[in-house]
Amino acid sequence: MPRSAFHLLAAASLLLGATSRLEAARRPRYGGTLRVELRAPRALEAAAWPMAFETLVALDESGRPQPALAISWRRDATGRRWQFRLRPNVKFHDGSPLAAEAVAAALGGSGWSARIAGEEVVIQAEAPTSLAEFADARRAVFARSTDGSLQGTGPFRLAQWESRRAMLAAHEEYWAGRPFLDAVAIEMGRTAQQQFLDLELGKADLIELGPNDVRRATQSGARIWSSAPVTLMALRFERGRPLAEDAKLREALALSIDRAAILNVLLQKRGEAAGGLLPQWLSGYAVLFSTARDAARARQLVTGAPVLSLASDPSDALARMIADRVAVNAREVGIRLLTATEAGYADLHLVRARISPLASEQALVRLAASLQLPDLLHLSSPALESLYAGERALLEEYRVIPLFHLPEIYGARPRVKTWATPGLLRTGEWRLDDLWLDSELP
Amino acid sequence: MLVSFALAVVATAALVTWVVSAMTRRTFEQADDQRTATLVAQFRREFERRREELVRRVEAIAAMQSTLDMAIELSRPEPDYAPYVNEAGALAAAHALDLVELLAQDGTIVSSAQWPARFGYRAEWVKEQAEWKEAFLKSEELPNETVLAMVAVRAVSAGGSNLYVAGGYRLDRGFLGSLVLPAGMRVLLYHNFEPRFSAQAVTDAAGPARGAERLAPLIEQVRLEQREVTRTIEWPDGPETFQAIPLAGRQNELLGVLLVGSSRRELAALAARIRWAGALAAGFGILLGIGLSYWAARRLTGPVAQLARGARAVASGNWNVRVSVASRDEIGELARAFNSMTQELIGQRDRLLQAERVAAWRELARRLAHELKNPLFPLQITIETLQRAKEQAPGEFDEIFRESAATLLVELANLKTIVGRFSDFAKMPAPQLEPVDLNEIVRGAARLFDAQLRAGSHAPIAPEVDCDPGLGTIRADPEQVTRALDNLILNAIDAMPEGGTLRIRTRRGEGCAQLEVSDTGQGLTKEECERLFTPYYTTKRHGTGLGLAIVQSVVADHHGKISVESEPGRGATFRIELPAG
Repeated sequence: MPRSAFHLLAAASLLLGATSRLEAARRPRYGGTLRVELRAPRALEAAAWPMAFETLVALDESGRPQPALAISWRRDATGRRWQFRLRPNVKFHDGSPLAAEAVAAALGGSGWSARIAGEEVVIQAEAPTSLAEFADARRAVFARSTDGSLQGTGPFRLAQWESRRAMLAAHEEYWAGRPFLDAVAIEMGRTAQQQFLDLELGKADLIELGPNDVRRATQSGARIWSSAPVTLMALRFERGRPLAEDAKLREALALSIDRAAILNVLLQKRGEAAGGLLPQWLSGYAVLFSTARDAARARQLVTGAPVLSLASDPSDALARMIADRVAVNAREVGIRLLTATEAGYADLHLVRARISPLASEQALVRLAASLQLPDLLHLSSPALESLYAGERALLEEYRVIPLFHLPEIYGARPRVKTWATPGLLRTGEWRLDDLWLDSELP
Repeated sequence: MLVSFALAVVATAALVTWVVSAMTRRTFEQADDQRTATLVAQFRREFERRREELVRRVEAIAAMQSTLDMAIELSRPEPDYAPYVNEAGALAAAHALDLVELLAQDGTIVSSAQWPARFGYRAEWVKEQAEWKEAFLKSEELPNETVLAMVAVRAVSAGGSNLYVAGGYRLDRGFLGSLVLPAGMRVLLYHNFEPRFSAQAVTDAAGPARGAERLAPLIEQVRLEQREVTRTIEWPDGPETFQAIPLAGRQNELLGVLLVGSSRRELAALAARIRWAGALAAGFGILLGIGLSYWAARRLTGPVAQLARGARAVASGNWNVRVSVASRDEIGELARAFNSMTQELIGQRDRLLQAERVAAWRELARRLAHELKNPLFPLQITIETLQRAKEQAPGEFDEIFRESAATLLVELANLKTIVGRFSDFAKMPAPQLEPVDLNEIVRGAARLFDAQLRAGSHAPIAPEVDCDPGLGTIRADPEQVTRALDNLILNAIDAMPEGGTLRIRTRRGEGCAQLEVSDTGQGLTKEECERLFTPYYTTKRHGTGLGLAIVQSVVADHHGKISVESEPGRGATFRIELPAG
C-alpha cells in the first residue's frame, strides 16, 4: 500500500471515529439519576408535584394552554360549562387506566361540579372560568390506589417523600413516552455554599441560584437556566401599625428606593424593576408603573424622624441585602428603617410572592390575595384597561410597594442535556421528562 | 488618770497611723503615677503598632493582583460595579479587618464590608488627600450605629484613575479587650459623637461602662480643652485615677476620649487597713491603759481606801483596826504610820482606862470612905459616949444608952441607904421600851415634887412646867425615864438651897424629843461640867455621885444624849434628847 493511501485511510478512520463519538454525545440516552439541590423546603412541593400529577391542559412557554390529559375541549357562551375529551391510553403510576370517573372525582368541588357525558368530562363552574385555570396544579388529576396512596399520571411517580428529601422515579408507561431519566433525587435545605460545592464536586447536577450567584456559577462552568420573572419582591406594610397607617410616609418610602442600583448590583441585572404587581411579560402594561426614584419629593413627604421596622426572611440572604439597601435609601430621605427585626413586631415586611402563570386577571387576583390587598371584585372586565386600572387602584395607597420581578434561576452541570423542551419553562415550571444525562467527559 | 492614759494611747496610735498612712499613700501614688505613665506609654506604643499593622494590611490588599485587576476594570468608561459588590467583605475577612471599603476615583463606594448596602454612595472624604500615608481616626457610620475607627487608605492606580482601598479597625470594646493591661488598670473609651456628654457613649471591654455619669466632668474638660487631663474619680468601692487622652480625627476634630484608669482601691484598702490597725492598736492601748490604770489605781488607792476605812473604824471607836502594808513607798509609809498610830492609841486608851479605872477606884474608895466615915463617926462617938457613961456616969447610963442606941440605929440606916444606892447603880436593868408620853411623865414628876417644893423645910422653889403639846409619844422605858427625871429634879432642888425657880420643859427636836430641867442655883464651873457625869463625882457635900451617872446610863440605854449648860451664878440646864417614835 502506498504510503499516501495509508495516511488517507488512517485519517478517514479517525474522522469516522470522531464523528461517531460526536453523534453519540448528541443523541439522548436513557438512565441516570438527576440530583437536584434546593434551598428552601417549600420549593419541593411546587417543583415535584407537577411532575407526578398532570392537569387537563398545560401551559406552554408563552403561557398558552396546550392539550395534556385532555386532547380537545369546548365551552358554552358563559364560560361556566366546559366539556373535555380525555387522552386515550393514559395510565396512572400503578398501571390503572385513566378513566373519566377518576377525572370527574378529582376535579369536583371548590366551586366546580364534574360529571361524565359519554367519554367526555363536563365541568360546571360557578363563575366564568378560563381554560388556563384547568392548568392550575391545584386542579391536577389523581386517584387513590388500593393501599391509599395518591397516584398520578405524570412522567415521574413519587418513590420516596420525606421532609427534606424526595425521590421521583420514571413512569414507565407515561403516555408521552418514558422519561430519559431513571429518577430525580431532590434534596432541600442546602445552603448556597453547599450547593456550589456539591455542583463543583459532581455531587449535584442542578442547583438553585440567586441572581447574585449567577456570575460565580458561570465561572464554575455551570449552565444557567432562567425563567421569566415569576416572583414579585415587594414591601408590604402591616395594617394596624401606627406608622404603617401614615400614607405620606408610605409614599415617601416608595419614592426613596433606588431600584436601579439594586437591580444592577445586588441582582446583577437578573430581573426587572417593578412598579406594578404583574411583570411585563404577563400583563404587557407594567412599564406604565414608574420605578424611578424621587428623593426630593420623598423628603418633602417625611415629617419628623420616623423609625420603622422592616422584617425579611432571615434565611433569604438576598432579601436581607435588599432590605439593607432599602434602609440606606430610606435613611437618605429621613426615614430610619431598622432591619432584621422579628416579623411579629415589624411595620413592614419584605416579601416574595410567586406569580401564577395563569391569565393576567387570575394572576393579579391571586397576587393581591397573597399580599393581603383588597379583593379585585370591582374588575369590570378582563380587558387590559380594566386590569390596569384595578392594579393601579391596588397600589395607589402604597400598602404594597413593588420592588422587583425576579426569575427562577438554576445552575446545571454540563452533563445535563435537554432534548425537545428546556428543563425550565418560562413560567418557572420544571420539565424534567425531556432531560437526559450525558456521561462525564474525561 | 485612766482617761488621760487612754487619751495618750489613742493620740499616739492616731499619730502613728496618720504618719504611716500618709507615707504609704505618697509611695503608692508615686508608684501609681509611674504605672499609669507606663500604661499610657504602652497604650501609645500599642496604638502605633496597630496603626502600622493596619497600614501594612491595607497596603497588602492594594498590592494584590485581584485589586489591580479590579482597578483596571473600574477605570474603563461606565464601569460595572456589580461584580465587586461583595469583594470588600471577602477582603475584610481575609485580612482580619473590621472595615474595608473599595472606592472609585470619584469616591463612589464600590463595595463596603461594614455596610454592604451602601454601594453606589459617595465617600467624598477619600478625595481630601492626593496621597494617604498615616492611619488616622475616623467616625464610621454603620447601619445602626456610628463607631470610632482607625482607618488607613491606599490608592491603586490603573488607567489614569485610582481605586481606593480603605481598611480599618473599630475602636470598640473588642479593641479595648485586646489591650494587655496590668492588674488594677482598665481602659474606657468615650465616643464623642453627641453634642453633649452621654453616659451611654462610654464603653469598656465588657460593654457600656457602669456609673459613667461620674466621668462627665473629666470628659467635659477634655472636650473643652482638647488636652490630656488627669483626675481621680470616687467610686463606691474606692477611688480611681483616670488619665483622659483626647482622640482626634484627621481634621483635628475630637472623635473620642480614651480613659486610662488606675484603680486606687488598693491604696484605699491599704489606708483602711492601716486605719484599722491604728484603731486596733488604739483599742488595745485603751484596754492596756485601763488594765494598767486599774492596776496602778489598785496599788495607789487600795491602801488609801484601806487607810480611809481604818480611819473611819478608828473614828467609830474600833482602834484595833490595822491596814496591810505591801509597799515601801509613801503609801506604805503612811500605812505603817497609821498602824503605829492605832497601836499607840490603843496603848494610850488602855493606859487611860487603867488610869481612869484607878482614879475611879480611888474616887470610889474616897467616896465610900467619906460616906462611910460620916455615919461611922457618930457611931464611934456614940459608942465612946456609952463607954464613958458606963465608966463615969453609970446612973445615967440607961438614959444615955437609949439615946445612943437610937443614934446608932439612925446611922446604921444611913449606912444601909448608902449601900443600897451603890447596889442600885450596879443593878441598872435594860430598858423595856414602849410608847411613852413624855409630857405625861413630866407632869407626873411635877405633881410628885410639888408638895416637897412647897414644904417649909427649905427656901421656896417655884416650879414651872412647859410641855410641848405636839411632842407625841416616844419609845422609852417610862420607869427609867421617870427615875432619870426625878434625879435631875432632885439635883436641881439641891442646887437651890436658897430657893429659886425649877423649870421643866419638853420640846420636839430634830428627830428627837427634848427634855430640859433648869435651876436658878449657883451654877457649875466648866471643869465641873466636864466631870459631872463621871460616876461617884458630886459637887454636893453629902452626894454619892451616882445620880447623874444613873441619868446618863438611862439616856445611853435609850440611845439618847445628855448635855449640860451652866455658868457659875446663873444656874444650870440639863438637856436630854431621846429618839422620837
